[in-house]
Amino acid sequence: MEFIGEHTLIGNLGQAFVSIAFAATILAAFSFYRSAINEQLKAIWLPVARAAFYSHGLAIIGVISCMFIMIYNHYFEYQYVWQHSSLELPTHYMISCFWEGQEGSFLLWTFWNIILGSILIKKSNSWEPTVMTIVSVIQVFLVSMILGIYVFGIKLGSSPFVLIRNLEENLGLPWTEMANYLQVVPQFMDGRGLNPLLQNYWMVIHPPILFLGFALTMVPFSFAIAGLWKKQYSEWIEEALPWTYAGIMVLGTGILMGGAWAYEALSFGGFWAWDPVENSSLVPWIILIAAAHLMLIYRARKSALPTAIGLTILAFILIIYSTYLTRSGILGDTSVHAFAGGLSSQLLVYLLTFTSASIVLFFSRLKHIPSNKKEDAVSSREFWMFIGSMVLFISAFQITWFTSLPVINKVFGTNMAPPLDAIALYNSWQTPLALLIVFLVGITQHLSYKKTNIKKLIKQIAFSLILAGALALYIAYTVQMWHALYLSLLWATLFAAIANFEYWRKILKGNWNHSGASVAHIGFALVIMGALLSNANKRTISSNEGFIAKDFPSNENILLEKGDTTHMGNYHVLYKSDTLLGINKTYEVEYFNLLEDSSYAYQFTLHPFIQLNEIMGNVAEPATEHFALYDVYTHLTYADTDVHDSNNPYHHESLINIKQGDSVIYNQHFLYLDSLMVNANTNLESARALDVMLIAKLRMQNMQGEFSTTQSIYAVKNNMAQSFPGFIEDGDLKYKFIFDQVNPEAGSIQIKAYEHIDNEKPFIVMKAIIFPYINVLWIGMILMAIGTGIAMIQLFRNKK
Amino acid sequence: MKKTEIVLILLVAVIIGVIMSLTFNASTYITFADAEKQMGKEFTVIGMLNKEKEILFEPRLNLLTFFAVDSLDNERKVYYHDSKPQDFERSEKITMTGFSTDSSFVARTILMKCPSKYNEQQSIQHDTLTSPTY
Repeated sequence: MEFIGEHTLIGNLGQAFVSIAFAATILAAFSFYRSAINEQLKAIWLPVARAAFYSHGLAIIGVISCMFIMIYNHYFEYQYVWQHSSLELPTHYMISCFWEGQEGSFLLWTFWNIILGSILIKKSNSWEPTVMTIVSVIQVFLVSMILGIYVFGIKLGSSPFVLIRNLEENLGLPWTEMANYLQVVPQFMDGRGLNPLLQNYWMVIHPPILFLGFALTMVPFSFAIAGLWKKQYSEWIEEALPWTYAGIMVLGTGILMGGAWAYEALSFGGFWAWDPVENSSLVPWIILIAAAHLMLIYRARKSALPTAIGLTILAFILIIYSTYLTRSGILGDTSVHAFAGGLSSQLLVYLLTFTSASIVLFFSRLKHIPSNKKEDAVSSREFWMFIGSMVLFISAFQITWFTSLPVINKVFGTNMAPPLDAIALYNSWQTPLALLIVFLVGITQHLSYKKTNIKKLIKQIAFSLILAGALALYIAYTVQMWHALYLSLLWATLFAAIANFEYWRKILKGNWNHSGASVAHIGFALVIMGALLSNANKRTISSNEGFIAKDFPSNENILLEKGDTTHMGNYHVLYKSDTLLGINKTYEVEYFNLLEDSSYAYQFTLHPFIQLNEIMGNVAEPATEHFALYDVYTHLTYADTDVHDSNNPYHHESLINIKQGDSVIYNQHFLYLDSLMVNANTNLESARALDVMLIAKLRMQNMQGEFSTTQSIYAVKNNMAQSFPGFIEDGDLKYKFIFDQVNPEAGSIQIKAYEHIDNEKPFIVMKAIIFPYINVLWIGMILMAIGTGIAMIQLFRNKK
Repeated sequence: MKKTEIVLILLVAVIIGVIMSLTFNASTYITFADAEKQMGKEFTVIGMLNKEKEILFEPRLNLLTFFAVDSLDNERKVYYHDSKPQDFERSEKITMTGFSTDSSFVARTILMKCPSKYNEQQSIQHDTLTSPTY
């Protein structure tokens, strides 16, 4: 059968590209492997391998192009296009559609791996065959996630080129037998559209950067595995180090952007919620940082090599674990924004394959890995760098263990629920660990390798310690934060920032080329400081004083009536107006300070809005006023989003069944049906009523006992029914009544009653939070990325 | 003892601490009946939203009330003192933390599980089958 309006060519082409990409990467893996194990055959196999890898890359670019063409041209017969895009979506968000689904995000990851693989082919010289074998094997696994074919009855991957009518669950349904289903089934006229939460500029750039970060962890992993494989246990470090720093920079930036998106576009109120999806990208980053520092220890002192190899491998394994957690559906009950399941068992197989292969290789080689038998001195830099890496490891372990609760339940058959206040529990673990880390960040730069002269050390850091102490007391005073642990952490972060600056200024003599570590460390200290100050001191100014139970506020929201000025925190706020612009209903809220002469001084205006989305539900988007030292963050928790037709300003329909002579209570009024008059024009010969007119006389009584009356008419002419509404005004209150139908059995009539939209003052309900010093966090993140970038460039330069 | 060993022992000790910490702090999924045995103490209850009964949100009172059915088919009225989450009516499974009173459950947080992609497709079939066009 020919289906009308389907564009099957592009899908077949795309599917062909997927198959080519899969076959080519298998060939690449095989031929890189051949050239890795046999020096003589290298000349034959290496060109084959490269050609295969490049073909694989071109095929993937073909796959991506086909998908873009499908999305751009709205080919809704394809499941992926129908599921993730819609006609009205602006072009820049079409890019986001591409990675909203599982298939697209795997493609994005695959794409970055190809770019990195191509660089490695050019730059890794003698490492190319081994490293590229590992890269190609990873690609085999990744491409298989989008294959969508059956092998021995098992479905491998899920293809983005599946037609909706070919989906398993739709097979055999009547509409799949219709040639013109695209023309007649209304659901296929338009796609379901992009999730409104993702219609945000951060979501256009955050995923590509995060996935580049994911992809970058593959490079040090591949070098470490290649090192173990070729028994070049330490030589790989020089190659992997700059890539590790690239990974730290990009993954860190990606996580930051995720936080910025959460803060800007989500309404949970903050940039971090210890959500499993956030945690699972943070953990590999922490491990990667630990691994990088261990590599530095090895470079300087030839020690800690086994740990360096182990953690480098672990960082990548954790990326696969993170993929498994967020995409297999196992998180289910514990995460708000995990992907829906589907590829669970396939991902689990990959996770177990990579983990067990790495473990076997690592432990079979462990006794050959050179390790320094000499003990590090307690005053040495390498000792404390090692301790720091271990603290990072513990931090990562705690986050992973807590996030893995559903996995633990599965494995041990337990049924533990997440802790009631999970965020507080995470903080209670991570705050002391952060204190340790940040203090080490401050002091370790000033330690020397081998052995430190303690007197010299004290002289170097005394100034930083004292200045940090004074600043900490001042800042704590401004936000009234006297909790001992928080105060110590604040002091430690200031110390770390100042001490690293001093190190750069005095020891490195302000040399920019070597400033990477100092800048990154200052950035890290500021991130922790910003997170501490903004989180520990955030104030929900919209909250009232009532409590339902201990620590259980009754109301964190404030109600603002249109045109009224209400007191909120330090401000007086006015809900001034609302406007509908495209799909966004925007509310204008003005902020004033009350002056001593009881006049209002205008401060600023915020425009929180609600993105209207009929299919997926409306989404409230926050609005934030940024000041140098704090942010005022607000989002709507309730607003009437009904769109009113100016021709018919009545809403809130109620159905009223009433008998003649009866009364009902409606909207704080009594409503009487005084009489029901029938006016029929009957055909005498057939005794049938041709035209009928029913007139309902209605009377309404308000609380003061005043009456007002109206009538509504129900007419039938030539078998067509028509109603003429009646209107009642009671002072400012206006109502409309429509005689809807007659219920002959009950002997009553049904009336639809409506209120005028002006009867009730419009209002919004809003939450407002002040985040002090949150800019410190963003500045820290930027510095950290810049510092890591400087270090990376320096390391790449040194390699040449 | 060597320093490396001390570090290693400390590391293992903290890791055991982390593992224990989760076990001790994890709450348990329980039913309304169990929650009522210790009124006022907070628990996690998983229930299904009863869509037949009234879901009432009163913005002026900052109160959402609805009926939830737990795994043993016990139904309770749930009070949630916050705004109605997006798409609440469409949710199926609701994870609630909060405490029981003698007549109801007071939720501090609610987490909803919305119908999956699969169910959306089910609804297409349904509409299509009942549509009079064919």
